[in-house]
Amino acid sequence: MIQLERVTKKYRTERVETTALDNVNLTIDQGEFVSIMGPSGCGKSTLLHLIGLLDAPSGGSIALDGKPVERYGDRALARVRNERLGFVFQQFHLVADLSVVDNVEIPLLYRKTTGKERRRAALAALDRVGLASRTHHFPGQLSGGQQQRVAIARAIVGKPAVLLADEPTGNLDSQMGDEIMGILQELNQEGTTIVMVTHDPRLAERTHRVVRLFDGRQVQ
Amino acid sequence: MIRHLLKLVWNRKRANALILVEIFFTFLVVFAVGTLGLFLWDNARRPLGFDWQDVWAVRVNMQAGSDDTFTAEQVETAARLVREVETLAPVEAVTGAMMEPFAFGQYTSGRTVNGRRVSMSVNEVTASFAEVMRFDVVRGRWFQPADAALAWRPVVIDEDLAREAWGEEDPIGRRLGDPDPKSPEPERRVIGVVRDFRHHGELSGPDNFVFYHKRLGHPQDRPPRVLLVRVRPGTPVAFEEELTRRLQAVAHEWSFEIAPLAQTRESAFRLRLTPLLVGGIVAFFLLLMVALGLLGVLWQNLLQRTREIGLRRAIGASRAEVHRQIILEQLLLTTLGVLLGTIVVIQLPVLDVFGSVLRPQVFGSGLLSASVAMYLLATVCALYPSTLAGRVQPAEALRYE
Repeated sequence: MIQLERVTKKYRTERVETTALDNVNLTIDQGEFVSIMGPSGCGKSTLLHLIGLLDAPSGGSIALDGKPVERYGDRALARVRNERLGFVFQQFHLVADLSVVDNVEIPLLYRKTTGKERRRAALAALDRVGLASRTHHFPGQLSGGQQQRVAIARAIVGKPAVLLADEPTGNLDSQMGDEIMGILQELNQEGTTIVMVTHDPRLAERTHRVVRLFDGRQVQ
Repeated sequence: MIRHLLKLVWNRKRANALILVEIFFTFLVVFAVGTLGLFLWDNARRPLGFDWQDVWAVRVNMQAGSDDTFTAEQVETAARLVREVETLAPVEAVTGAMMEPFAFGQYTSGRTVNGRRVSMSVNEVTASFAEVMRFDVVRGRWFQPADAALAWRPVVIDEDLAREAWGEEDPIGRRLGDPDPKSPEPERRVIGVVRDFRHHGELSGPDNFVFYHKRLGHPQDRPPRVLLVRVRPGTPVAFEEELTRRLQAVAHEWSFEIAPLAQTRESAFRLRLTPLLVGGIVAFFLLLMVALGLLGVLWQNLLQRTREIGLRRAIGASRAEVHRQIILEQLLLTTLGVLLGTIVVIQLPVLDVFGSVLRPQVFGSGLLSASVAMYLLATVCALYPSTLAGRVQPAEALRYE
């Protein structure tokens, strides 16, 4: 489903060149739950951003569903991100001035769907993460765990094939973290491929496979 | 998307208040200046009602202590002045008047007609005024020397006044002003109607106008303050010297100031265009400041929203969609500002501030052009920040602190 071949990522400033990822090869099959682990600064988030087409590699190639994405233009990349991928971030990244349901609807704004369809799908997604009673609250009125559940609802509202989660429990206490992990596992059992960056070995144990990075290199 | 953005704009009303206030006040200024410009332009393309070319104005100063009192000798001298000027070869016709067209200042009068107060501008003119100023009477007739013998005073009005006082009814023979036992004014009856007479020139608005008959040489009528002399085309400026000499020969003690009407017209133009010019300059600088302000505030807002923009890019917005969203948000804010401004501005005709001076079409065009100007300003100011927002790399934006 997702193939990375000899992928490298280098960040250049005027004087310094930093290698964030070096020669990473990775294949993720449909329905897998893969976790990416490693110490801070080892390139985990960079790898996730590359898989999510949020950034372009400096070398190597990335293919999604067998199609190389290098030649995709901005519009095509946006479309793939919108229709095939879902994102959950450590910081939630909810829009503070929009209600919960309006936040969840955002990905569908970039598709040709009617307002009614958007609302129905958003309510269903919120119901799926157990927040049906908080639809008209604003993010500031919710706990961290609830905000992350809203972010998951937003990620799954468009029924993506792949869910990319960047330390989704990093800002939560262990109980809330467990709840979020439970939701992700359920989604995976329903067929969604999940790639999750985490520091927590307990969470990584609950995934199918662990990819370990060190200094930008894949070590396992 | 529009609904989504409306919610966003509304929920960020505090953050957007500054932009909204700027748009609101700029709209008011642009409306005022634009409407004034359109008002003048609309006036300029309407017929003037008379021909000012080759007419010279001779301002007569009798060197009298009081402007309101006059002697029989002064009346006779004024009549002799007119007769003297008529004999000069370059002169086609001469008339006496209280004031010349385009002159600064006016004599206005209010009269009650059919129980309704009607205001009007007045000029007292001798019988040859129509010949000198070359305008036609469209209904009834112009003054004749024999009118001096009438028991009542004849007046000629313009079409604006006829419409306002009597609507579609025929005004000929009607009394101008209901009888008032307290007023010493003589009875005045309408004997003729001329086309709209734009005494204050091409840029002036519609005005009710009435001509009173000044009887030249009549002991009860004040001598004219100005003589209007129609000269033959091509008469040289040097004629002014001869004209002064001949006038001075008749009235040694009086003084005369001669100027072509074209010159008075130029002064009137300058007088009317000055507020537009000043307003235009103020509006231009205001627009410039608002444009820079909008650009700055918008930029600042977008910087604060970098992570949101990154998120939108991550979950499916293309560069073009982000670009479009920022411009749409700006246009929605502009719509709110323009709506608020329109609500304020619309009170002016509702409260009848303009009376019949400002035509509804001019008001509507002013409103429309101010709105269009605000939308253009908002779009131009949003273009650069929205382009930058579109270029945001999602991975970088999501890390932005």
